Amino acid sequence: MVRKNRGYITLFLLPAVVLFIIVYAVSLVILFGTSFTEWSAGRKPVFIGLANYIQLFTDDSDFRQSAINTFVWVLLQSTIHVAIGTLFAIILSMKEFYWKFARTVYMFPNIISGAAVGMLFLVMLNPDFGAVNSIVRLLGNADYAQNWFMDYATAFFSVTMTWLPYAAVVTILILAEIAAIPESLYESARIDGASNLKINLYIVIPMLRNIIGTCVILSGTSMLQKMDIILMTTGGGPGNETMNLPIYIYKTALMDNNFGYSNSVGVFLIGFGLIFVLLCRNLFRIGSSQN
Amino acid sequence: MLKKGLSVLKYLFVLLIVLLSLGPFLWVLMASFKTNAEILNNSLGWPHSFRFSNYVMAFKIAPISRFYINSVIVGIFGTVLNLFLLGMAAYVLARFQFRFKKLLVGAFSLSLLIPGAAMLQPLYLTVNALGLYDKLIGLIIVYAGFGLPVSLYILSSYFLTIPKEMEESAYLDGASFIKTFFKIILPISKPGFGTAGVMQFLLCWNEFQFAIILTTGNQSRTLPLALYYFKSQFASDYGVMFAATMVVIIPSIVVYILLQKQVVSGLAAGAVKG
Repeated sequence: MVRKNRGYITLFLLPAVVLFIIVYAVSLVILFGTSFTEWSAGRKPVFIGLANYIQLFTDDSDFRQSAINTFVWVLLQSTIHVAIGTLFAIILSMKEFYWKFARTVYMFPNIISGAAVGMLFLVMLNPDFGAVNSIVRLLGNADYAQNWFMDYATAFFSVTMTWLPYAAVVTILILAEIAAIPESLYESARIDGASNLKINLYIVIPMLRNIIGTCVILSGTSMLQKMDIILMTTGGGPGNETMNLPIYIYKTALMDNNFGYSNSVGVFLIGFGLIFVLLCRNLFRIGSSQN
Repeated sequence: MLKKGLSVLKYLFVLLIVLLSLGPFLWVLMASFKTNAEILNNSLGWPHSFRFSNYVMAFKIAPISRFYINSVIVGIFGTVLNLFLLGMAAYVLARFQFRFKKLLVGAFSLSLLIPGAAMLQPLYLTVNALGLYDKLIGLIIVYAGFGLPVSLYILSSYFLTIPKEMEESAYLDGASFIKTFFKIILPISKPGFGTAGVMQFLLCWNEFQFAIILTTGNQSRTLPLALYYFKSQFASDYGVMFAATMVVIIPSIVVYILLQKQVVSGLAAGAVKG
């Protein structure tokens, strides 16, 4: 049967392989190849060895700030963000009267585009008419009203708040996993006299190790892409306060036309992501059997 | 005592989450019916009357209808192309053994580890070289490819659940490979395609970073970019800006509420475990 089908197998795989080559393979080759060159729009790339990388690490404060911000955001996203999503999933899994409504509403900010979320926060935090400042003034603390996205003291925090609480994807994944835990486990624990809190702490959470690990990877790596909300709200400013690696790549490549240099940042971003994923897989022993 | 405290904390937490999720959305909805003066002086109150003139203006000032049509075209064709090509590939990968299979699976899984941001300039170059810059077809191909890892995972997991006997009896009845795939496999895989399709459609509908580097002008831009570029145009007319924001958000919410089950199961299935 295999011999007879060989032609069909090729026929069925070929289009996907072509798509993979156009979108991923060619990009990767260009990325790595040109990261060792000096190359700007309209010019030919000139090989300069490791010079781009040396400059990145020794003499580029914008890059350093972008890398630090990206690192901090990955860290926050893979800890606090995942914790909020997990906690909410455990609460929803008790299936109290509001659970379906709360689950649906929690998905809204996760289902609309990042640009729209950015817009919502941009107007919410507007210094003249934004709801946040209006509430602050209403409470009588006019001193705390400010230009949240453009003030050095608050910009990083404000941008972080546009995604940190919205962990609905984590919640959905963990809810699905909790639903798969056999009812008999809860029953025997209850017969042994365990409280709900104890059941969650000692039975449910340990059984979720694998899926929590997956959520840490998904949430963390999503921060290696984040561009739309930042462009929408602060554009990376004030100064380079809210710059991250994707925004930095976008700026060096398409505004400064500094292609070779921008691609060396891309290589760094991929390396950073790979290390993060490998670390998480070891930390959560993903793939190994549960016991 | 501890138990009561915990349950108060629990309700506070739920309330906070619901407020954070719904609050900004409702506030912008309310403001989209207000005049500039009302927005500035009465930012938290109800609008005097529910006027739709801001919405009419939003469509007049900005070519939002153009962006809408673009988003619909890119969403539909990006999803169809993705499902068609990856449906075929996922079927072969789930069912047959052949040389280079491990290499192929390895390469496909690698694509999951590459952040889109790293590929911005190389993709710009490729799309330009293919003559597809600032064309909807360019966005469609890139999105079909960018959704490759997730669709492949969802579809091949689904194909693995179909019993092999289905095909064997089709072959015995003399059906060809192609006929078996289109007449037997595709119809029973509808739920799998539904899940992958919703995920892929949302990707196309919300995507921002590739759209911003692969298009220019208003000809082939999509909705998420509309907001970005109109931010400055609306700078003095807040009511219209709010209306435009709602116009972009509402379809996503409607689609989500209609397809809630597919989206939720799609997310759960899309978790690449290990």
